[in-house]
Amino acid sequence: MARLGMVIDLKRCVGCNACTVACKSENGTPPDIFFTRVLEQVAGQYPIVKKKYIPVLCNHCLDAPCVRVCPTGATYKRENGIVLVDYTKCIGCKACVVACPYNNRTLMPKGKLKEGHFKNHLTPYEQVKYKDFYEGVVVKCTFCYHRVDQGLEPACVNTCPAGARVFGDLHDPESEVSRLIRQRGGMQPMSEANTNPSVYYLE
Amino acid sequence: MAKVATHTKSGDKWVRSACKMCLHGCGIKVRVKDGVILKIEGDPDNANNMGKLCPKGQSGIMRHYDPNRIKTPVRRTNPQKGPGVDPKWEPISWNEALDIVGKRLKKIRSEDPRKLLVAINDFQRIHLWGWGAAFGTGHYFNTVGQFCGAAYHPFCGFFDGSFACANDYKYCNYWIQIGGGDGFGAHLHLSGSIKRMADARVNRGLKLIGVDPRMASYCAKADEWVPIIPGTDRAFILGMVYVILYELDRYDAEFIKKYTNGPYLIKPDGRYFRDKETQKPMVWDSVDNRAKVYDDPTIKDFTLEGYFKIDGIKVRPGFQVIKDTLKDHTPERMSKICDVSPGTMRRIAREFVEEARIGSTIMIEGKEYPYRPAAINFYRGAIGHYDGTLDHAAIKLMNSLVGNIDVPGGHLGVGLDHRLLIVEPGEDGMLKPQPHILHPGVPFAYPPQTLQMIEYFPMGLDPGHLVCHNILHPEEWGFDFKPEAALIFHSNPLKNINGYPKVLEVFKQLEFIVAIDILANESTEWADIILPDHDYLESTMLTLCEPPEVTGHTLRKPVVEPLYDSRDGHDILTDISERCGCLNELNGLLNFTMFIKPEYALKPGRKYSHLECIDRMAKSIYGEHMGLKWFQENNNAVRPQKPEECYLPWKGNRISFYHEYFLQVAEELQEQFRAVGREWDTSSYLAVPVWREEHPLHKIPGEYDLYAINFKAEAMLNHCENTTIPWIKELVSNIPIHKGVLINTKTAQAKGIKTGDRISIESPFGKVEGLARVIEEIHPRVIGISNAITRWTIHPVERKMNVNFNHLLPGNLEFTDLASGHQETATKVRISKI
Repeated sequence: MARLGMVIDLKRCVGCNACTVACKSENGTPPDIFFTRVLEQVAGQYPIVKKKYIPVLCNHCLDAPCVRVCPTGATYKRENGIVLVDYTKCIGCKACVVACPYNNRTLMPKGKLKEGHFKNHLTPYEQVKYKDFYEGVVVKCTFCYHRVDQGLEPACVNTCPAGARVFGDLHDPESEVSRLIRQRGGMQPMSEANTNPSVYYLE
Repeated sequence: MAKVATHTKSGDKWVRSACKMCLHGCGIKVRVKDGVILKIEGDPDNANNMGKLCPKGQSGIMRHYDPNRIKTPVRRTNPQKGPGVDPKWEPISWNEALDIVGKRLKKIRSEDPRKLLVAINDFQRIHLWGWGAAFGTGHYFNTVGQFCGAAYHPFCGFFDGSFACANDYKYCNYWIQIGGGDGFGAHLHLSGSIKRMADARVNRGLKLIGVDPRMASYCAKADEWVPIIPGTDRAFILGMVYVILYELDRYDAEFIKKYTNGPYLIKPDGRYFRDKETQKPMVWDSVDNRAKVYDDPTIKDFTLEGYFKIDGIKVRPGFQVIKDTLKDHTPERMSKICDVSPGTMRRIAREFVEEARIGSTIMIEGKEYPYRPAAINFYRGAIGHYDGTLDHAAIKLMNSLVGNIDVPGGHLGVGLDHRLLIVEPGEDGMLKPQPHILHPGVPFAYPPQTLQMIEYFPMGLDPGHLVCHNILHPEEWGFDFKPEAALIFHSNPLKNINGYPKVLEVFKQLEFIVAIDILANESTEWADIILPDHDYLESTMLTLCEPPEVTGHTLRKPVVEPLYDSRDGHDILTDISERCGCLNELNGLLNFTMFIKPEYALKPGRKYSHLECIDRMAKSIYGEHMGLKWFQENNNAVRPQKPEECYLPWKGNRISFYHEYFLQVAEELQEQFRAVGREWDTSSYLAVPVWREEHPLHKIPGEYDLYAINFKAEAMLNHCENTTIPWIKELVSNIPIHKGVLINTKTAQAKGIKTGDRISIESPFGKVEGLARVIEEIHPRVIGISNAITRWTIHPVERKMNVNFNHLLPGNLEFTDLASGHQETATKVRISKI
């Protein structure tokens, strides 16, 4: 069985945030809700300064604490490794938000879907997109499973101008993701959390 | 079935088109379902951006559906005008609006067309920029060239017939980048450039040196960041040129001899030494040990170094003049100016020369070319200064020394459009200089007829920042008219032109403003009439603008029906032209600016729709079978450039190494000014770039202890006014460098300033306030202001931080590069906690 995952090449990423907007636009997330972001990390003192751009998203962990702690079974794992939230079962208790060591889950607060990016006005685009959401539930990156099911790459991968995001089957040794992890020494984020993420980073 | 984000495929379609969220025009595909736009992606079938799309391009949905768009022609009802004042617009009909505009402009045109200011800046409709000429006015009421490249484009055109330049992504291995975002955050066709650069860095191990006062994204990704004082990049470069000439003594002599005027003999007055009979420039043949005309077939070897006496006149090759001129530009002296250590200059110069692999060749498609995989690339940050022409010349000199101009791996010219590099034979065996690729040169006139005085910049681009000073001080140059109205078309002069107090005063004095746009901005909030244009998802245009590596047009086409009662901007201008009586002139102009061939020419006395014009343009460029219909069916004609189009394209003409042409232009200009009894400083028209102590930026009194720069070269910002788009606003609100005025930690500590403190920023020319953002990654003697915090429009989404950098700049001739017209884009300030 496939285990879908992503490799993020930090050497390639230029912090342009095309992924951030691709995700917003594909998933139609309301204001201030992001399924993926690009963090900026600055270290050192002038003039010896290093700045890194680090894209983050749900890691779709194999041993996902969010699945473990969910009291209603709303958070579940598909056979292909994608972790999803069933909005009809989610009660918004936020146990998963606390359990996620990566801070990649967000509560969709009450009233959020009325707000709109232009304040008290929902564009035709938002009217369509918001039909897919519930208020009072926890939301997060879905690895664009609706695209993946159609044989497409997740939106962030599709647009990334730098080619910094690669998507594929971690179980297939011949896949691009497996090859990159092998050849470039892919690292899972916060390995000490023992969650076995499906997202790997290349330095 | 779990209720999670689902998308059904029924009723869905993907429409291929062209982006317009910056000036370029990547291929896009747009998902439309039941008439609603749901997604914009890069078009994988476009060789330009190869399926990639930057954050701006994807945000087009939020601009399209912005409820603040102008929905119908509107008329101002509030006579009060000013920043933040609600115009209280009321809708009117198209006929009424066009009649009001037509009547007003017709009257002006009959009295004195120069009373109309024109600001037309839609980069995908460059063919409309000259509309003022059809009307009868030559003013350029904006400053796009000042924040882009007055010292950039004309010099490119002079140098190798290009409009822009970039290093060769395909083969370059050692890339020095100064004040520009190519491949990371800005400039030519961003999405494709990021991909090309990332592939070069990761797959091929390209080494990158980033030179910038602040750590821009390209410096963050560079192997080495070299912080530098603003406006001193030329000192850094010339220090390295000194190392190459005097310490390493390694340069591409064969290239200079064969492809440039480096061997031409120069007289003590700096001009060519010419053969008495033929008047051709002469060179020295070192084998026969005598002078010969440059194209004498018996020349055995061209001499680059040495001193000769012919007929009692001391002469030396241009190369020797350059070497002699720069003998005091030691890294030690240059270091004191630019604050880069002499050791760093020596190391980078050595790496650059070694990596250039002088003498090596490469086979491409069966032809052998020189292979020089090291090059310096740059953009506005490096040349947007007083003496910007010399900055540009210094960079071209260092590139030329290793023979990397327009060869694989090196520094390549980029054409503005399908014409690619404009290669025509000039005089003396040289390539014909093409400094006026945007519009023909404007002949000398006194008094000047254009408020930007383009008549006095034969090697420059319209210095629009001079317009307001000249309106307010007409006596200085003898202007005998006063503008009373402005036409603003996708432009924002009040925000863009530097010397804000002067621009504000001009806006107060204008009696009538008509604007054509999709949204109001700082300037068009002052309009009396606004006429709504279609946006790019509702309209048709054949787009192409400065792509590196590829060429050919992409068709922008309507993806959805127009949301509102808007019309195509081109047709609006045609209607206005008809009403004010300059339709024939417009047709004539479009024949020229849209490259329309005689058999498709627009004829006098007829009104043409923009679709007809585009059809004729396409057929003129691609042939009868490839008109608008072909593009509607096939979307784009984009293809990779052929090697012979971009490598060694000069067809036997030499490129300029020693810029004798500048001396010639300066002499002509001096004669013209003498004849009218006025003076003009041409001291910066130099054949050899040097460091000049005259630089007024560095002479600003010491009480202004910090340099101040602004920056736009980040992917979500460049080349576009997009901070009114919620998705972009969300992005920049979360990125530290766009949250306030950037100050180095040590500097901030010394001044008792912390992140979040409100500070005052004062230059000799103006004052603004802002929130401090203390960071490590900026030079301690520099503060940086992101373009994301400069706006104050009444648009409800905008953050309105209004740290408008242009308040701090003078907008005058003193701070203008008199060779190119570029304004000095940095200034000096003092800051304090409020």
